[in-house]
Amino acid sequence: MTSTAASTVTRRPWKVSPLILVFVFVPFVVEAVWVFWPALQGFWLALTRWDGLSAPTFVGLGNFRDMVSDPIFRTALKNTAIWLVLFGGLSVAGGFGMALLLQRERRGVGIYRAALFTPVVFSLVVTALIWRVFYQPDGLVDSILRGVGLGDFIRPWLADPDTALYAVILPALWRQIGYVMVLYLAGLKAVDPALYEAAKMDHASAWQRTLYVTIPQLKGVNAVVLSVIVIDSLRSFDIVWSMTKGGPYHSSELLSTYMYSTAFQSTQLGYASAIAVVIFFLALAVILGYLIRAFKEES
Amino acid sequence: MTGLAADRRTFLKGLGVLGAAALVPGCATTAPSPGSGASSGATGELSLQSNLSAQQAKGAMEKLVAAYNKTGGAQVKLNTVASEIYRTQLPTYLTSANPPDVYTWYAGSVADSYAKKGLLLDVSSVWEGLGNYPKAMQTLSTSSNGEKIFVPTSYYWWGMFYRKSNFAKWGVTPPKTWEEFLAVCKTIQSKGVPPIGIGLGDTPWVASAWFDYLNIRINGAPFHRDLLAGRGRFDDPKVKAVFTKWQEALPYFDPKGKSFPFQEATSALLGGKTGMFLIGTFFADSAPKDALDDIDFFQFPIIDPAVPVAEEAPTDGYFASKKAKDPEGVKKFMTWLATAEAQEIYVQSSSGTAIPANPDGKSADTPLVKKGKAMIEGAAELTQFFNRDSSDALQPTADAALTKFLDKPDQIDKILKDWQAAAQKVFNA
Repeated sequence: MTSTAASTVTRRPWKVSPLILVFVFVPFVVEAVWVFWPALQGFWLALTRWDGLSAPTFVGLGNFRDMVSDPIFRTALKNTAIWLVLFGGLSVAGGFGMALLLQRERRGVGIYRAALFTPVVFSLVVTALIWRVFYQPDGLVDSILRGVGLGDFIRPWLADPDTALYAVILPALWRQIGYVMVLYLAGLKAVDPALYEAAKMDHASAWQRTLYVTIPQLKGVNAVVLSVIVIDSLRSFDIVWSMTKGGPYHSSELLSTYMYSTAFQSTQLGYASAIAVVIFFLALAVILGYLIRAFKEES
Repeated sequence: MTGLAADRRTFLKGLGVLGAAALVPGCATTAPSPGSGASSGATGELSLQSNLSAQQAKGAMEKLVAAYNKTGGAQVKLNTVASEIYRTQLPTYLTSANPPDVYTWYAGSVADSYAKKGLLLDVSSVWEGLGNYPKAMQTLSTSSNGEKIFVPTSYYWWGMFYRKSNFAKWGVTPPKTWEEFLAVCKTIQSKGVPPIGIGLGDTPWVASAWFDYLNIRINGAPFHRDLLAGRGRFDDPKVKAVFTKWQEALPYFDPKGKSFPFQEATSALLGGKTGMFLIGTFFADSAPKDALDDIDFFQFPIIDPAVPVAEEAPTDGYFASKKAKDPEGVKKFMTWLATAEAQEIYVQSSSGTAIPANPDGKSADTPLVKKGKAMIEGAAELTQFFNRDSSDALQPTADAALTKFLDKPDQIDKILKDWQAAAQKVFNA
């Protein structure tokens, strides 16, 4: 008995099939070369001053000190926070609302679902182009405002520092709501109908059923939606870049667009890497709480 | 239990999404290896990296290369890259282990910034045959350590463009001085048309033309060059004087110009929706041919007659990598590019507003081009354009400062202070 037990214990490592080792290590090596190593280099570059041509010079935490006194960085940070709250919050609220509205199988509901999901299919750059036409002087938005007698509100939407950021959030939301809706629709499908049945038997109102059955049942989906929203907010770049390039004069700058323009237009790659490090830690801070909780539930 | 399993699956799905998200920006940084367009050693092939991606210009380049390949020298392989990508990738091309040989780019400070890093081939021997080139071009093609590093092939000019028929209709004539200019603006405005067109949406650098011209008219070209080279300060009272002068013209700018790019500002000018437009001749690429016959321009108005007259004449041409595999072949090709014959091939096949750098080269035979050429030849000093006289890295700092000034002209002091701080960062980088 003891000898067989011992032999199974010692033999166990041999049972790992070489195929599995290949599946684990080949992607790991690829990932290490193309993701981990450049990421580590990014951390190192954040501590240097580098123009992309000559050798980087080590400046310690100089880049991070510069950030504190950099008004554009502060604007970008503030705008990223606004973006996270407005874009993230409204797309969750809108997506969840739409999912609740469209979850029941009714005639023609597919058309509405498809209509809301269509913007997700478009590339963000195309979305940006369409909305730029809406916003252009004497364009659709201006004509509508004039038509309903609000002509005084007309502004150069994308060129006015007070409106540019919000004028970009709108098309981003237009797209994201459809995406979040689909995630929630999938989640709602997975909720056991028997739970609603039981709640109805206990005379729970529609509101109570939503609050005490639907929302708790969607916990898993919520974790995914939150991760997606936070990541999407922090990496939002294409739509802002193709609509305003962070302008006019940096008023719609996000951390991501500021990082790009610092790196590739001003060729201050060290400072840009430092901004990238800040973005990384922001994303980590927001998501870490949820990751830890998710892992706890797993175990 | 099932709930937990579903949970794990959705979580894994979430991780998958995260992974995909992480990969996307990864794509942006893994640009194709810069040496891919390069020649394969001493096979008698040269690679030419070109940013002339606009339809007409690209076709002209193809014709140019085909003409050279018939002369029996090394075979040149043209590799055209979209201009915006080219600009950001140029440092990568030049620093790669196996760089392309010859590049289209700009003369002056911007070329010197690469020469200072030891990246450009010394082409002084090419210049031995270019004695007929004007002195100004020689200066622009010489690096700070005295080597010739650039071969100019064409230049163009900036001016205040307008429609002749509209000026006749409004009863105004092209002004010569700043006071006359403001009077013309006033008249055009009284006809209900915004006098000065501009296009800053997407192309905020167009505003730099105003800064450049006001600065060279008020403070002179040497001050302007020093300022852009980091030997002056943007919060200098002399720079502030540029902005206070500019304020006098601000009420006449088209308010819609903030929203659209210069191409649409061109349409606005041609459609009679604005009176005049300070722009380079490249705007003609996006203008219908028949409208061009009605187009004329006048020189940016003189502000202080005591300041020697300078004009913006951006010079285009070629430089080569120090690591070129066949330096003699490269120099032979560049010598040919400097000939009047080669430059005429290019000018005739492109939009036709560029003027050959070789004084013997024939430019397009239109009154507009003749007038432009005469203006440049009569100038006491030449500047190029903001980014060419400084660096591509300094341009965004100007864009932010100038668009902000156009929006909030009462904040000059703060704008200039911020501009100096941003510029300092670029010069230190």
